[in-house]
Amino acid sequence: MSRSADPRADIATERGAVTLQAVTKRYGDQTAVDALSLDIQPGEFLSLLGPSGCGKTTTLRMIAGFEHPDEGDIQISGRSVLGTPAYRRDVNTVFQAYALFPHLTVAENVAYGLQQKRVPKLELRERVAAALEMVQMRGFADRKPTQLSGGQQQRVALARALVNRPAVLLLDEPLGALDRQLREEMQLELKLLQAQLGITFVFVTHDQDEALSMSDRIAVMRDGRIEQLADADTIYARPASAYVAAFVGQQNFFDGVVAPDGAGVDSPRAQLRPATPLSGFAAGDAARAAVRPEFVELSADRPSGNVNIASGDVIGVSHLGEMLQFLVQLDEQTAVLSRRPTPDAPALSVGDRVWATWRPDAVQVFPAGDAAARSGYVPPPTAAQISDP
Amino acid sequence: MRNLRLPGFALAIPAWVWLAVFFIAPVGVVFWYSFGYKPGLFGTHANDKLSLDRYLEVLTPTFFDTFVATMWIALAGTALCLVIGGPVAYWMAVKSPPAWRGLLLALVLVPFWTNFLVRTIGWQVILAPEGWASQAAQAIGLPAFDILYTRAAVLLGVVYNYLPLMILPLYVAFDRVGEPLREASRDLGANRLRTFWRVTLPLARPGIIVGVLLVYIPLMGDYITATVLGGAKGNMVGQMVAAQFQTAQNWALGSAMAVTLILVIVLSAGVVGALLWLVSWPMRRANRLVLGEVGS
Repeated sequence: MSRSADPRADIATERGAVTLQAVTKRYGDQTAVDALSLDIQPGEFLSLLGPSGCGKTTTLRMIAGFEHPDEGDIQISGRSVLGTPAYRRDVNTVFQAYALFPHLTVAENVAYGLQQKRVPKLELRERVAAALEMVQMRGFADRKPTQLSGGQQQRVALARALVNRPAVLLLDEPLGALDRQLREEMQLELKLLQAQLGITFVFVTHDQDEALSMSDRIAVMRDGRIEQLADADTIYARPASAYVAAFVGQQNFFDGVVAPDGAGVDSPRAQLRPATPLSGFAAGDAARAAVRPEFVELSADRPSGNVNIASGDVIGVSHLGEMLQFLVQLDEQTAVLSRRPTPDAPALSVGDRVWATWRPDAVQVFPAGDAAARSGYVPPPTAAQISDP
Repeated sequence: MRNLRLPGFALAIPAWVWLAVFFIAPVGVVFWYSFGYKPGLFGTHANDKLSLDRYLEVLTPTFFDTFVATMWIALAGTALCLVIGGPVAYWMAVKSPPAWRGLLLALVLVPFWTNFLVRTIGWQVILAPEGWASQAAQAIGLPAFDILYTRAAVLLGVVYNYLPLMILPLYVAFDRVGEPLREASRDLGANRLRTFWRVTLPLARPGIIVGVLLVYIPLMGDYITATVLGGAKGNMVGQMVAAQFQTAQNWALGSAMAVTLILVIVLSAGVVGALLWLVSWPMRRANRLVLGEVGS
């Protein structure tokens, strides 16, 4: 970070940057955030993704100023904010349960931050009206929050934060309380809004779809650390660990050992061969291979070749809308999930004997013994969706 | 049985019956007696001739002075309870470690385990000229103080007896505002003081009103504290009402006093409420925002 002659120029050019340096937060003997370092670019949409208890909300609350790190430094727009109380930080938060003030109208809720900054009344009215316009809530200005639906409250909470033109907007699972359709709508709107305003968004979620659809970059968190920080494509296609692979999207895992020639993984039911030979593994090492369900093709006739193939019985077919999902049992402990686009899906039904194949470039290999990764070939949520004929 | 459906208010019937029989009816009787008179030395009341004469008797200077003194004690006592109990309740609900809160609430209630009269007499022992308080003052070089049977002693006893009634509703009120709203306020740039004025206090207002009424109303009618700690100088209306019923055996005059007391309580509470509403009006006006056609 360069220090130019005029410090204000520095701030101006870096407004919206957030830097976390080896930030640690402990509660008693529990470490919620463990030496976490993260650089967020100005204007970036960054998601903190992880299961509950991974430290993502604590990280957000430390940026907001509601929690204070035990170690490390947090900088906003190039300046350390460790000594800055929440009410003086150039950030605003959209809270999980919205936290709208029930005794104030929608307009008064949105005006609250501007009133604290003693913005002149005329400008205040215009900015409040514009902010409500932006979230299409102009017609509800004089209602109380209790008279609004969840989606409307969500919009008001967004306007209440954005009207202050913060350097960084923090969003703490803001879509969690909305139903699916509304959530997908809001995902699009949020992304558009962020692109329009150019404000840095730090978005906390446990929902992989949300993170994948909106983020410039995703930080997948686990036990207070960042497991992988990358854009959505990389996170999905080249997960850094079996944990990330299992958390983002769904996976078929095959546990086995590295083949003698180092070309792939041999598991009891299939030999998996990625496009390029493994590096960093020795023959005989325990390893875990992963293939995403959308890469698994099914056919009734045996295809040629001996690798990247497995045979079994169809035990479940379910309709996911644009996809059909097949569950194929290889043996008593092992099943493989396959998803095919509905128009091209093979005409298979429960009880059919099939062959499952996948391309070499669909195979990912990770070291075995990643205890936190979900074990088994089919992640639990998918198994629950399977229709029972 | 499956078809037996009671209307929603059925659950409230026992409470309403209780209130009607043991509260509304007696007040009605008192109201009725207040228009009567005392028929001779051995009678307590008679209603064959109705008049407002008992109310004229109530408005004599002696009664009036006692009314003013009672209101002074009640208002000062309520104000002191609010000033002392408010911060305690706020601390308990907002600042204290959550694990302590159950214990703290229990501690507030501990005085209620002992009889009201016994507790008040206990203060007599403490405040007596040779009591602990005086001895302690002398021990650190202060002059001996003798406040028993003064208004100061009454006020002290009043605050002691009624403080829990203020703390409990205030605690509930502050607790219900909740940390998320205070965080939202700070997130939007309000420091702790501004957050208190604009979020915590407005949302806790119903609880504050309950606490104030819960202290003020029984205090206006209380005469035990005044008799025990105030002696002759602690004369309060409640004492006078009791004296008319028990000593003077003039139920008509006692009833008129009681009715006057009820009216004064309702009126004074109304006046104080209206004053507070007026005083806070400029602030509410400054923060009010009605978007007309601006910007649309």
